[in-house]
Amino acid sequence: MRYYILRRIIQIIPVLIGIIFILFFILEQAPGTPVSYMMHPRMTPEQKAELEEKLGLDIPWYERFVNYIKEASQGNLGYSSTHKKPVTEVIGNYAGPTLLLALVSLTISIFIGIPAGIISAVKQHTVIDNILTVMSFIGISIPSFFFGLLLLKAFAVDIQLFPLFGLKDPLLMSDNIFVKIKDIAWHLVLPSIVLGLNSTASFMRYTRSSMLEVIKQDYIRTARAKGLKEKTIIYRHAFRNGIIPLITLLGFWIPLLLSGAIVTESIFALPGLGKISVEAAMSRNYPLILGINSILAILTLIGSLVADILYALADPRIRYD
Amino acid sequence: MKMRKIFALFLALLMVALVFAGCTQTSQPSAPQADTQPPSEEEQQADEAKSEQILRYGASGFNGIFNPIMFDNVYDGYISNIIFEKLITHTPEGEYIPGIAEWKLSEDKLTYTFTLKNGIKFSDGTDLTAEDVAFTYMTIAHPEYNGPMAYAVSNFEGYDEYHEGVTDEFEGIKVIDEKTISFTFKDGRAAPANIECFDYGIMSSDYYAFENWEDFLALIDKPMGSGIMTLDSWEPKQFILLKKNTNYWDPENGAKIDSLLVSEVPEESILSALQTNQIDFAQISPSAENLEAAKAMDNINIVNYIGNGYTFMCFNTTRPALEDVRVRQALMHALDRESFIKVQYGEGLAAVGMAPISPASWAFPDLSELNPYSFDMEKAAELMDEAGWLMESDGYRYKDGQKLAVNWLVFTEADWPKTLYEMAADTWKQLGVDLSMELMDGNSVIARTIGPEPGEKDFDIYTLAFTLTIDPDPTGFLFDDDAYMAGGFNASGYKNAQAMDLVRAGKKEFDIEKRAEIYKEWAKIMNEEIPHAIIAYRSEIWGINKRVDGMFIDTYATWDLSLKNVTLK
Repeated sequence: MRYYILRRIIQIIPVLIGIIFILFFILEQAPGTPVSYMMHPRMTPEQKAELEEKLGLDIPWYERFVNYIKEASQGNLGYSSTHKKPVTEVIGNYAGPTLLLALVSLTISIFIGIPAGIISAVKQHTVIDNILTVMSFIGISIPSFFFGLLLLKAFAVDIQLFPLFGLKDPLLMSDNIFVKIKDIAWHLVLPSIVLGLNSTASFMRYTRSSMLEVIKQDYIRTARAKGLKEKTIIYRHAFRNGIIPLITLLGFWIPLLLSGAIVTESIFALPGLGKISVEAAMSRNYPLILGINSILAILTLIGSLVADILYALADPRIRYD
Repeated sequence: MKMRKIFALFLALLMVALVFAGCTQTSQPSAPQADTQPPSEEEQQADEAKSEQILRYGASGFNGIFNPIMFDNVYDGYISNIIFEKLITHTPEGEYIPGIAEWKLSEDKLTYTFTLKNGIKFSDGTDLTAEDVAFTYMTIAHPEYNGPMAYAVSNFEGYDEYHEGVTDEFEGIKVIDEKTISFTFKDGRAAPANIECFDYGIMSSDYYAFENWEDFLALIDKPMGSGIMTLDSWEPKQFILLKKNTNYWDPENGAKIDSLLVSEVPEESILSALQTNQIDFAQISPSAENLEAAKAMDNINIVNYIGNGYTFMCFNTTRPALEDVRVRQALMHALDRESFIKVQYGEGLAAVGMAPISPASWAFPDLSELNPYSFDMEKAAELMDEAGWLMESDGYRYKDGQKLAVNWLVFTEADWPKTLYEMAADTWKQLGVDLSMELMDGNSVIARTIGPEPGEKDFDIYTLAFTLTIDPDPTGFLFDDDAYMAGGFNASGYKNAQAMDLVRAGKKEFDIEKRAEIYKEWAKIMNEEIPHAIIAYRSEIWGINKRVDGMFIDTYATWDLSLKNVTLK
């Protein structure tokens, strides 16, 4: 097992280099340069060319790729032209809110979506199941920007219960850590509901169908025949088998959440990676686009590794040796 | 046993969830602001915060470059203008007047000599001297300078030698004494617009002293200037908090408010934030419905003025279909811009564009002398016939067996190019034009049009918006023959010696009235020839809370200009 994990981690490196190579190739195809975004009417073409040269854009892309890999291996991800700061610093500034938002909404999804899915499966074709099913379809199909604006209108404008924008109150003059946490949590309520809604609904659907399949298995009937309590059957026998497809899902859900954060962060003005990655794409801020996407790639790769490890924990039949 | 591990994992997650759930639950029954039930100590602080005069501005787009020679968008520019002071400033009418220095222009119009006012101090208490002014301009000329303002120094005598690192002396910048400094332009570069080069905040040569360029860049979000406010704190993409500069060297003209809080508010929420008093002022995206919604709020005053710029349509005049001016005119006549304005912006929020100068400018010609290209399909058909493009049975026009087909690059960041395209697709089709479009982002449009070498510019028509400088000199802009090159703004390929003579004459003329005549003449030619057709002059709208007094916003007066007069009720 240990050897397996080590091997998988080492495998991440060539895969990552491959991903960066593809990114370089795609970015090379995109027209426009970072300089065309910062044009001033009085700037001359020579001055634009000089700026491009300073950004290293006069070098062919495959050479830039080799340089990038060399520098990246030493932890240098280049320079963000719009922020005039190292990419690592920019990402460090913005990663916190995104991760916090993703974690909170993932937690919400897991603790609402999975139990609801189990209940829905156990009580198949009852009123509860129907209600939960309708709600999950609404959750899956409602566009998050619409839902976000709807929540803002209701809870931030009409009854003004939650703040309209931002991650914290800048005028909060308190050194009390709990007051600060409370302030941030208060700002995160609406965004995490919006970001969590879709995944909650998806988790519920997946849990329901996976549980339904397991409940119909012979060994569940055997367990019932043995006279086990229904609770034990569902939560110990059925759930453990039903959870396997969910683990696959979880592995890939983290990058999905981060891309969902793009919309959520824009609507609620949260200072996260989603918001700056859109800006980076618009302004052709190549180093920042590469940096953010590399991190997403790493997260995805780690996510699938964690999923593989969790398989083995959930299902003793799966072994990696 | 493995089961236990899973449960442990879930337990850990559950605990995280409880922490957050706990936070939200305890605060749920209370109102969101400071008047909850926190300990009395905080209540006092909240009260203190209330008695403080805090002006709150909402916008989105700050990049955190609070440096007068490095910022590259208007939002960072606002902050920089408040923290730093410039040699010159301008009146709300767009006339340049002394800022922290008086200036004299030499007989040959090449040398500007600035004398600093008495007693100017940076917010750290040190004196602002001619050395600091020289330092600021030499930094823009520094070989490693990678900001967008190089044109501010590139016309000074000796720029090239200094910029390329040949010498350490910048010939064109001379510090005469502690309060006096002169700038000399290269021979033949005298122009009234040169005064714009002094519109940059002055940095302290002590505070910003650097050995490596990286050291200088490290200070761009830690600004220190002589302006009426100083940066207190900021968080990327969240807020910027400025405090009154209590050491301001001219206390009578200092800030009257205590703090300025700039919040990152997304465009979708601007109106709601104004309505709920969460911000005091903000720019509102100009549309009829937004204006109506803002008018319905009784806590908001609305400012509505015409912007310093225009939206335009560029015709690639090197294409056989568009080289004939009559075809371009016909296309303009077949474009119902009155309806476009009504649909896109609403009545009174934009005007039909005619001359490539802002209507707010002193150089704007008399409207009666310009062709408004009013919507007239018959006229359009006539012009097409005259130009030899004749209607065939398939509903398209042909000339020498060539079909009249044009390709339009439409950028997607804004709505208006699409609205305009959709209207054109209808009326131009009736005229017999085979119109197609390509959707792309603004940066891609620039890469296809402005970017490539002449001859490789692969488009027929593109649309974009252009912001103008205060001075109407169009050198290097859309209508400058010399800007037809890779990276130059003129992508139309149109050349006109007569118009260029006028542009050059306008650059040399220092008498504002004679200059206005020259530009009016020039604008008439461009209105007739339309290598770039001006589509519309758009209004800009701001919402300002009624508790704000003394703020003035207009075409040439951004809000930071009147900030020192602002008080709060």
